Amino acid sequence: MYGWIWRHLPGNALVRAVISLLLVLGAVYVLFQYVFPWAEPLLPFNDVTVNNGGAG
Amino acid sequence: MRQQRTAAGRTRGRGAALLGAVGELLLTLGVVLALFVGYSLWWTDLVADGRSGQAGDRLRQAWTAPSAAASPARAYRTGDVVGFLHVPAMGRDYQVLIRMGTGLDVLNEGVAGVYQEPYPSALPWDAAGNFALAAHRDGHGAKFHDLDDVGKGAAVVVETQDHWYVYRVDATLDQTSKYDTGIVAPVPEGSPYRGPGRYITLTTCTPVYTSRYRMAVWGSLVRVDPMDAHRTPPPELRAG
Repeated sequence: MYGWIWRHLPGNALVRAVISLLLVLGAVYVLFQYVFPWAEPLLPFNDVTVNNGGAG
Repeated sequence: MRQQRTAAGRTRGRGAALLGAVGELLLTLGVVLALFVGYSLWWTDLVADGRSGQAGDRLRQAWTAPSAAASPARAYRTGDVVGFLHVPAMGRDYQVLIRMGTGLDVLNEGVAGVYQEPYPSALPWDAAGNFALAAHRDGHGAKFHDLDDVGKGAAVVVETQDHWYVYRVDATLDQTSKYDTGIVAPVPEGSPYRGPGRYITLTTCTPVYTSRYRMAVWGSLVRVDPMDAHRTPPPELRAG
């Protein structure tokens, strides 16, 4: 997968390294901004209230 | 001969490529999980502390603005700021903004949320009732991370625009079910209190890094100090 991406990036090694870094940063951004906030309430780590089984 | 070798080589190459892809996938999963831990325990704290800090500054500015009118008798709706919670046992300068509501949209702002259900909380200035609060144990500001450091006799102070409400902790509950809503009742079940009074309840999840159980800290009002012009804190907050 990563090898395939690397082979399909344009430019020399330096340009590819820079593009790779940008891709990684983009992936981290998407994870932090969209994926993790969506996943977090679904995981049982952050319920702090007492309730009757509803949201909280 | 030559054809056979290339065919075999291609099969081995395909198998290796498949294994490699699976390996890369597993590595990626590991990195994503590590990032999620970083997100939960570090990033959400940064975001929540930033937001609650700004909101707290705005509240203090609103309080000191010349046009500020003292009127805590109005109706408080979900998201409204009530004041600040001070608990010296959780740190010398421990200060948490208090907002109405215990939904994740409120709590994730790095605040202590006031229970509105199943029991609508009494606010500190109400004649009787329980001022019940919840906050995150970890992540999103982790405002009640050290709630287990708050023991019997500890001071809990609520600061509003024109009063200091000084409570003293009478009892703690180490662990209970998340369905045990009685702990935030007007007269908390499981607490030493038997009749109506002016109580405060702090709840969060326990043990740390899980949501398996809930814990509670109960206090009762000791006295109400009027706010002076310099907003001088009560002795409970100066001693620490």
